[in-house]
Amino acid sequence: RMEASCLELALEGERLCKAGDCRAGVSFFEAAVQVGTEDLRTLSAIYSQLGNAYFYLHEYAKALEYHHHDLTLARTIGDLLGEAKASGNLGNTLKVLGNFEEAIVCCQRHLDISRELNDKVGEARALYNLGNVYHSKGKNVANAGTHDPGELPDDVKNALQKAANYYEENLTIVTELGDRAAQGRAFGNLGNTHYLLGNFRSAVLAHEQRLLIAKEFGDRSAERRAYSNLGNAYIFLGEFETAAEYYRRTLQLARQLKDRAVEAQACYSLGNTYTLLQDYEKAIDYHLKHLVIAQELHDKIGEGRACWSLGNAYTALGNHDQAIHFAERHLEISREVGDRSGELTARLNLSDLQMVLGLSYSTNNSMMAESHVVENSLNGGRPRGRRYSMENMELMKMTPEKVPNWS
Amino acid sequence: QPLAGGQATELQSKVVPSKQILHSDNMEMEPETMETKSVTDYFSKLHMGSLVYSCTSKRK
Repeated sequence: RMEASCLELALEGERLCKAGDCRAGVSFFEAAVQVGTEDLRTLSAIYSQLGNAYFYLHEYAKALEYHHHDLTLARTIGDLLGEAKASGNLGNTLKVLGNFEEAIVCCQRHLDISRELNDKVGEARALYNLGNVYHSKGKNVANAGTHDPGELPDDVKNALQKAANYYEENLTIVTELGDRAAQGRAFGNLGNTHYLLGNFRSAVLAHEQRLLIAKEFGDRSAERRAYSNLGNAYIFLGEFETAAEYYRRTLQLARQLKDRAVEAQACYSLGNTYTLLQDYEKAIDYHLKHLVIAQELHDKIGEGRACWSLGNAYTALGNHDQAIHFAERHLEISREVGDRSGELTARLNLSDLQMVLGLSYSTNNSMMAESHVVENSLNGGRPRGRRYSMENMELMKMTPEKVPNWS
Repeated sequence: QPLAGGQATELQSKVVPSKQILHSDNMEMEPETMETKSVTDYFSKLHMGSLVYSCTSKRK
């Protein structure tokens, strides 16, 4: 009777998770664990699914705990395939938690067992996971570094190159297997790895393949991701018109998919692209659209970013009233969110604008004094503060062979 | 007046430097894949058919 109810609870958990209700699924799996079972294979399956459910719920500490239980259990009962799967899941979870070294060990174990069992599907999946770990590792080291923009430290380059190699290895197998969905995923992440390595042409080729597969499957989210990634790569190739075209398609799909946050991101990218094209009217149009959505989503950082961009675009057009309005708004928001460097950037902008409008220095001594302090701390007058105030935003020299900086 | 104009030009090039670009580095990654297990895998491998039922009823 007890056995039956554990199994029944687990089956209901599975049904709920498959239906997309992980939260409810977790309750059933946990109830199943409470009831308990002597069948260790059933228990292993429950732990594994609990781990995955918590992973999808972004509760990674819990996911780690259950995948670890599953791994121990699989080893206890000598279930090699089960051990491989548990190792892979544990590896993915460790990656998200930033524990890259252990993640690599786990994913490597997944790979080794799959090869031992001559399990091609498992081997390919382990290679994809390894690629993801090395990609994250490279990105993480780069973010933490204090190197100059455009200079990729060796450890970052090595990790990213390894990621690219694993994705390529994965692609060889999944192409043999004719698994188009897996090919799509590998092309997407391979493209992103080439992008970080500064191989923008290769990035474009990979994202074009990703796009093709997304269309085959009618997967509009993947299609939208490909457009966005293609836009980013074309920016670095200096082909701004093409980038704008891809960002426009991103925007179109974001609207169809009713994803406001993605729509905002697309507007922001378009605003920046039209700035590069020196079409400031269009830039303003898109930055205003971005601003409206940022306000709607209560995204203060996005709002500040929009105001900063709008201030710049209006300055470029010589509309100083609007420029001052947005520079002041940027200052206000920077204060609100406690963005000290954003605040100083806004002060700099305001003092610049006041100078252009012919206001005397003496009218705002304190502001100018503070600006000079900032100016002196900058290397070669480069507006560091402006860069640091923008999360996910970069100011960089337009040399395509250089990789993006990682601020 | 000419001075103000000159300043405006200077400011414009300072705000949007021709050699610098604004770039949003919002890279979009593909989803992770997790390995899946199911409580029915094991049963369906051992015996085909409605084993879950027979197994549970046997235990009752």
